[in-house]
Amino acid sequence: MAESLSAGKSTVVAESDFAEIVRRHQAMVFSIALRFLGDPAAAEELAQDVFLQLHTNLSRLKSEEHVKFWLRKVTSHRSIDCRRRRSLPQVSLDEAPESAAPSRTEDPMLSRRLRQLVASLPEKPRLIVILRYQEDMNAEDIAEVLAMPVATVKSHLQRSLAMLREKVTRAIGEVTI
Amino acid sequence: MNFDKDTNRMEDALKNALRRREAPEGFADRVLTRVAERSSATPVVLRHQSWLRLFAQPLVRGAAATAVCAALVVGGIHYRNVQREHAEGKAAKQQLILALRIAGSKLQLAKSKINEINVNHVPADQTGNQEEKE
Repeated sequence: MAESLSAGKSTVVAESDFAEIVRRHQAMVFSIALRFLGDPAAAEELAQDVFLQLHTNLSRLKSEEHVKFWLRKVTSHRSIDCRRRRSLPQVSLDEAPESAAPSRTEDPMLSRRLRQLVASLPEKPRLIVILRYQEDMNAEDIAEVLAMPVATVKSHLQRSLAMLREKVTRAIGEVTI
Repeated sequence: MNFDKDTNRMEDALKNALRRREAPEGFADRVLTRVAERSSATPVVLRHQSWLRLFAQPLVRGAAATAVCAALVVGGIHYRNVQREHAEGKAAKQQLILALRIAGSKLQLAKSKINEINVNHVPADQTGNQEEKE
């Protein structure tokens, strides 16, 4: 399928390939929406809508990387729109179980606190932090996805990190990971 | 760990906290079901779109534009010919009516001349016949 996507402009993706794309990227799309919206049901609905939109636009996407970029971009913008349209319940992230096993170095209490603090950030900084630390994207890629200057992304990241560090330090103090 | 002194550890903690979550079970199937429902709900629109997609190719667009231009030119010439034939027919009709009127008036004139001649000759004949009987 990756070959068929990178074959060029005339790429036509079969239904079976689309199913494979959904399975490959569903965690990414769902997680961005979930971390941003804080509501699993709304996140699933949004993620489904993103993939429906992808199905309509798939013939225009030229490569696997293009598909990934497109999904991150559309999910980010739809998440902001969704948040503005509806007043979703704030941060029920801790009610939904973490399906992935925590890493050996993870402090569950610290992680929960950090998720709560990230969820309390304003829209743009929150999305930037999610894309930086969940998706491991650099500032340039985030700037392209969110259509904003790189300097603005870096500035949001620095301020958000400083704020998170201060609040975590105040709440937890000296923590050993 | 002191977060003021160790930004890297703070970033690691964030990466741990914000790890991706798996999508709910059956998510992909639900997406595919919605795609199938949408496809079956709008077959006419999709057919229309696939037909219109032909015009995305420059060659097809050029051919279509040429065909439209040719049709306009042929149609214009045909329309002009029809108009000319119509005008010629109308003129011929007028000429025929005029000719019939002229012929009619000539016939009328000839008829009146014949009548006049008949009137002048009839009494002489009738007088001759009476004399023979006596």
